[in-house]
Amino acid sequence: MSATTAPAAGTTTRAKAIQVRLQRFGAFASSLIMPNLPAFLAWGIITTLFIKVGWTPNGILGGWGEVTADTWQGAATRIVDADGEFVTRYWGLVDPMIIYLLPLLIANTGGRVVYGARGAVVACVVAMGMITGSTIPMFLGAMIIGPLSAWVMKKVDSLWAGKIRPGFEMLVDMFSAGIVSAAMAIGAFFGFAPIITNVSNWLGDLVNSLADTGLLPIMSIVVEPAKVLFLNNAIGNGALVPLGAQQVAEHGKTLLYLVEANPGPGLGILMAYTLFGVGMAKSSAPGAAIIQFFGGIHEVYFPFVLMKPALILAAIAGGATGVATMAATGAGLRAPAAPGSIFAVFTATAQDSYFGVILTVLLSFAVTFLISAVILRASRKRDLAKGESGDLQAAIAQTEANKGKSSSALGALAGAAGGEAAAAATAKPIHSIVFACDAGMGSSAMGASILRDKLKKAGHGDITVVNRAVANLDDDVDLVITHNELTDRAKVHAPSARHISVENFLSSPVYDQLVAEIKAADAERARA
Amino acid sequence: MSEILAPGNVVLAASAGSKEVAIRDAGVLLVRAGAVDPEYVDAMLEREQSISTYMGNFLAIPHGTEAAKGTIRRSALCLVRYDEPVDWDGEPVRVVVGIAGVGDEHLEILSKIALVFADMEQVQRVLDAPTAGELYAILQQVNEE
Repeated sequence: MSATTAPAAGTTTRAKAIQVRLQRFGAFASSLIMPNLPAFLAWGIITTLFIKVGWTPNGILGGWGEVTADTWQGAATRIVDADGEFVTRYWGLVDPMIIYLLPLLIANTGGRVVYGARGAVVACVVAMGMITGSTIPMFLGAMIIGPLSAWVMKKVDSLWAGKIRPGFEMLVDMFSAGIVSAAMAIGAFFGFAPIITNVSNWLGDLVNSLADTGLLPIMSIVVEPAKVLFLNNAIGNGALVPLGAQQVAEHGKTLLYLVEANPGPGLGILMAYTLFGVGMAKSSAPGAAIIQFFGGIHEVYFPFVLMKPALILAAIAGGATGVATMAATGAGLRAPAAPGSIFAVFTATAQDSYFGVILTVLLSFAVTFLISAVILRASRKRDLAKGESGDLQAAIAQTEANKGKSSSALGALAGAAGGEAAAAATAKPIHSIVFACDAGMGSSAMGASILRDKLKKAGHGDITVVNRAVANLDDDVDLVITHNELTDRAKVHAPSARHISVENFLSSPVYDQLVAEIKAADAERARA
Repeated sequence: MSEILAPGNVVLAASAGSKEVAIRDAGVLLVRAGAVDPEYVDAMLEREQSISTYMGNFLAIPHGTEAAKGTIRRSALCLVRYDEPVDWDGEPVRVVVGIAGVGDEHLEILSKIALVFADMEQVQRVLDAPTAGELYAILQQVNEE
């Protein structure tokens, strides 16, 4: 069912290869972000409510309250400040969640996608090194370092796979992962975090120099992507606010305060998801929109862009429209709008600028919404393809698998890594087969026992056949057999395995074909 | 084997009005056996909505979702054979095996049922068995072979 019409090698172009890669990247980004959406929402809710300018400010939960003898001592944390003095303060939930929890969750998912539970653990340890080695939220870093460190662990493990004396496997596994992840954490602390910090500073400088030119809308090309990488505060407070302060001193208002704080583009993206999204993204978008637009916590829409990177175009266009509108109407803000909620924006708007500011928010919303809608509509069919359950992740993985497969036909030209893997998979000898179903307690168990029986009768009892829940699949098996409606989900969990779909676990012709194939492959090897 | 699929949980019935009724029948047997909490039955119905548990060869194996594993107290199976085929999304089902599985204890008996139902001759014997006791014996025979 996932058979793709492979284009003839001659007609393929480099553009197509790039498109395939972008789609694979998009599917990958989505698989890192999507499972963690609830945590982003939870953080958004907590932040909207409890920060200093929140709806029900709470210094203890928000982490900004003064610790005195009368306040609650339970959460008062003693820390050393920059001067080496001991101070006691509230840590709250807001900062620890965005600095530690959310990047760690992303790293965890990234590690798991690449190398199962072991990869997830290693990824978290390494991400912790990167997070503590830096002063800005490490989302981009987590998306890179999570999968990367799990991949390194996988490679390291393969060095001595099968060479360990029986009985020592567990010991070796423990210490190898412990040592490797500790080393990588230190490496990330000194080597990786500064790179990301520098990128952030560099983007701030870039915004600075763009603000000096007359081409203000061009700033959006830098600001919007930087925002969704969670560098919004670095850009806002680091570049735009100081610049804006100068302008306010001179002119009494500035448009720079609304470049990053404009809630229009984010609202456009979330409303587009609300109407044209699929699955979990669609259902969580309206709630995120409230937190974003009224609460001013823009971070909640960033993952929606990260999981469909093409949407950054919509955000840039909306942002640029907003800046242009501000410039054209001569509108400005007197003070920084923080957080970037519509209320904070109106509070900070200069007396003469309400028309311009409202128009700015409306137009940037409209432009972002329209472009996002087009992008989401265009990929909706693909996202929904086979997605009767509306599982966006699976649908994207399906696309990825399809594209990967078709690219194997154009392998020489495109050289797409996925294509090579798909081609290699068919040739790989089969040692382990996993039957997977939703819960791993029913149909997969039956299918596994039937195939095991057939293999045994054919003299191939050495091939392991087990059953699992799709969610517990690891990418360390040769062949995965699933009901055809679950194959896409299985591919997400075991991307490098070969996948076979069956409709009927009891009497599928696939079993006999498979036994015959294994026999033939054996005979082939015997001859060689 | 008897602990997972007790002889008392192999039942012959005339007909079920719909597959939902059949799933509830199976679920009630599991609840009565003390294997699952009543919520598990809802999870079985919910699971059925996502993907049919029809296995082919007149067999369906309703079971709960991954999320409902917490409502399973112990692994158990039940088997209901209907005289009249139950309409299972257009497929005729005669035998409904309700599954509550945690861990691997139930896999042994389940794989026996699978091997029986993969073989049309054996399936016919199951469908023709005159009493629940004889049906149970057919499943046990696989054990001995």
